[in-house]
Amino acid sequence: MTSALERVTELLEGRGRRRRELVSPEGVPLAVDVADLGERAIAFVIDALICVVGTAVLYLLLFFLPFGSGASAIVGRAIMLFLAFLVRNFYFLYFELTWQGATPGKRGVGLRVVDRRGGPLLPAAVIARNLTREIEAFIPLGLLLSLSAQSRSGWETVALAAWMLLFTALPLLNRDRLRAGDMIAGTMVIALPKRLLLADLVEAKADYVFTEKQLGLYGAYELQVLEELLRRPDPALLREVADKICRKIEWPATLSSSEIVPFLRAFYTAQRAQLERSQLFGKARADKFSRPGAAAR
Amino acid sequence: MTEAAACPAPAIALKSTEFRRGREEGWRELETLVERVRTRGIRSLSAEELQRLPSLYRAAISSLSVARSIALDRNLLLYLENLTLRAFLAVYGPRVAILRGTLDFFREGFPAAVRTVRWHFLIAFAAVLVGVLAGFWLTLSDEFWFTAMVPSGLADDRGPASTRESLLQEEIFAPWPGAARAFGTMASFLFSHNTVVGILVFSLGIAAGVPTLLLLVYQGVIYGAFIALHYNRGIAVDFLGWTAIHGVTEFAAIMLCGAAGLAIAEQALFPGRYGRMENVALGGRSAAQIAIGAMLLFFVAAVLEGGFRQLVASTEARFAIGAVTGVLWLLYFGRAGRESAA
Repeated sequence: MTSALERVTELLEGRGRRRRELVSPEGVPLAVDVADLGERAIAFVIDALICVVGTAVLYLLLFFLPFGSGASAIVGRAIMLFLAFLVRNFYFLYFELTWQGATPGKRGVGLRVVDRRGGPLLPAAVIARNLTREIEAFIPLGLLLSLSAQSRSGWETVALAAWMLLFTALPLLNRDRLRAGDMIAGTMVIALPKRLLLADLVEAKADYVFTEKQLGLYGAYELQVLEELLRRPDPALLREVADKICRKIEWPATLSSSEIVPFLRAFYTAQRAQLERSQLFGKARADKFSRPGAAAR
Repeated sequence: MTEAAACPAPAIALKSTEFRRGREEGWRELETLVERVRTRGIRSLSAEELQRLPSLYRAAISSLSVARSIALDRNLLLYLENLTLRAFLAVYGPRVAILRGTLDFFREGFPAAVRTVRWHFLIAFAAVLVGVLAGFWLTLSDEFWFTAMVPSGLADDRGPASTRESLLQEEIFAPWPGAARAFGTMASFLFSHNTVVGILVFSLGIAAGVPTLLLLVYQGVIYGAFIALHYNRGIAVDFLGWTAIHGVTEFAAIMLCGAAGLAIAEQALFPGRYGRMENVALGGRSAAQIAIGAMLLFFVAAVLEGGFRQLVASTEARFAIGAVTGVLWLLYFGRAGRESAA
């Protein structure tokens, strides 16, 4: 049945997101969508921008105080590095701890950090995944930047670049898109856009009546495709679908264009009633190709 | 409509529709609560709402289980999956006041985590010791080794060409450079060399611990080379005092990071009853606590180094401070947080 859900998503959106199951502490499996790398990159860019601006503001504040005025360039740079370190670590830790695993960037894109085993997200896990970011990216980046100022041997650059490349590519190399920090902390990043509960499409009374035989042709997959089509109406497509259904179930009358939507809704209602009833009797039907009464999936 | 056959009776009553009608109100209420928690934090809920949240969550999660077995309404199923997941994150989200959490961490969590890796710590200690001895013997016989082994940024003009006087005046008993400069030295040291080494040592544990051990040995080698350089000029004791003031804390921090890295390596190499990845995740959290705590030690070391080292200009006093810090750390890691457990 979950598979029917996923197959419809795949049909409609062209590709299925990577899905994974978490088991909640109550023992109920919850399907989660693994976040795309693109989404995570956008979230990270937003967060990084905020951190850079925050660091710059603090730095300027510090330098307008009399304390900083006599400092040399070397001291200034040290203070800058110090501030950047504090700001970015405090930023990620603070938000992931207080915003239930989301930084402003992640919230903007609709991402959350969750525990991979379905437990509560522990502070230690948040600390671990963010501390690791230091070695994944910031330290080699800092070294690259500071080395470029001085003389720098070629292989040092290559080694640092390879290091960063390796860690950046790591999420591509595993199913759950984990970066090194996620591996150490036992976390993963999921996409969690908000879904709305729409009105039920089921009709209150039956204008069209279908026979058991007519309702025995389709399965859950086709039913849910029909549901999605009814929820985003496209007259031409609905006409085509209605014609196909009429042919398949050998519907005697032809439909005028004003009848199409009521007919499809009535068919949806009857079909769903029939499928739900047989599912209750242990005869779930996944799609039109499965034998009636054969086990679903 | 010629075939007015038996099939679904004209008055339609779907189980899933009935089911939805009875529970929808609770879902909507949960949805608003979850949304409030997400945007304004758990504190925005009143005491009564706070009590409602878990029971609404449990109701929703049982709705999901039922819906999965009786309903074929795609929108309903997706909505319930989404709602329970979001409610799950609201109910089981991290629940810490930052200040309180930090205090608890340093009072109990950190020393307790350190106590679990005491054997790893001993291995890290042994690695550093081996490095010190190697660096010392090599440099003792031929000071060329000093330039070969110590990176120029750390050597800072010190090397085979240094004389006893220059070392004493510019290094060991150099005058205190003033607050701004001292802070700069502290900050740059904290965030250029030591912390980098600490974090590297920790996180390279995931590569089976070999790079961790090598880096630890190398830290020892550098220190040993410095000792030999000063030994050859007859000021080894002064140099040891000069480094003891902060070195005890600093080496402790590096070795703690090393111990944490080795603990991760152990989890990765010998996964035991869990999968390798799962096991790394289990051990990684407590190891990361140690690494975070080690940052505190680095900070203390940098304060001692930037602030006190040049102010305290007597070797005896420096040794005394170093010894006191060592004893304090031992007491802290040995005793802190134990009373509450007993």
